[in-house]
Amino acid sequence: MTGGQLLLALLAAIAFGFALRRGPGTARKVGVDAGQSLLKILPVFAVALPMAAFLAELIPADAAEGLIGPESGFSGILLASFAGGLMPGGPFVTFPLVLAFAKAGAGVPQMAALITGWSIFAIHRIITWEYPVLGWRFVALRLLAAFPLPILAGLLAEAAVQILPVTLGRP
Amino acid sequence: MTAFFRRHASLLLIGSIAAASGAALWRRDGLGALGAALFHAWELFLFIAPSLVAGLVLAAALRQLMSPGALARWMGAESGWFGLAVATLAGALTPGGPMAAFPLVLVLAGAGADRGALVAYILSWSLNGFQKLLVYEMPLLGPDFAILRTVLTLPMPMLAGWVARRLPIAWEAPK
Repeated sequence: MTGGQLLLALLAAIAFGFALRRGPGTARKVGVDAGQSLLKILPVFAVALPMAAFLAELIPADAAEGLIGPESGFSGILLASFAGGLMPGGPFVTFPLVLAFAKAGAGVPQMAALITGWSIFAIHRIITWEYPVLGWRFVALRLLAAFPLPILAGLLAEAAVQILPVTLGRP
Repeated sequence: MTAFFRRHASLLLIGSIAAASGAALWRRDGLGALGAALFHAWELFLFIAPSLVAGLVLAAALRQLMSPGALARWMGAESGWFGLAVATLAGALTPGGPMAAFPLVLVLAGAGADRGALVAYILSWSLNGFQKLLVYEMPLLGPDFAILRTVLTLPMPMLAGWVARRLPIAWEAPK
């Protein structure tokens, strides 16, 4: 267990405690809600994790180093920002994929740009949720306001790794 | 049909990529490599599983306890940077996927939040949602990277919200 996992378990226990204080009915709703979400996510995991494992094997180590490696600088940050926006699916898909990129030699600033780009642009989410629920005007407003942010995140991370020895990988 | 596709779009897409890459790996390295990769995926699942369960319980509990409408009165067009900060904080604390977050934007809009605050809210949810951070980013990429990226991108939704308030695009919540 990592620190983050312990913190999450603690927060969940506290929140569940508050729900219990509201009464057993609320606590039962929490249990049902969490169980239903789990049933929805498990099928995605069942295909997403093997997909990421296969891709990690297929992508040769340091394949991406020239394109988005630590030495790729601004062009790598730019490329990673766009690549991030094209990645399909929710976090259960992206983070295993991101792990495959990390194995392929991506740098920390490029990875920060990639995750930020995915968070902001996520084309699949615009098509399936944002446009139908909120309309194209909202999509345009948000994209115009946010499009430089992945590059900014990459540049800030580039500056930060000059000072802090941050690395990618499991704790 | 559309509803079916919308509901299962990710699953279908991921499934196809998984099948294609699995076939490619089998052809190149044989059945042993395929089995080893599947075992690796299983180990990763066991590593994430406890956080996943805790994250879902936390999300479900917050849904019962929090009332987003009450926050929206701090997020009006005249709320300035304070309103954007409230929206950013609310976004980062919103649990769950897009099926929960986008309908919440409508709730917030109905309760008085303006377009800048809503842009900040949804960006903050997608960039720095605590659930994504704790369930996926910390365990998979390590706490150093996850904390660095979060600290750097934390104020960004406020910036985007500030820009969105100045863009000449009028937006009204769809009825």
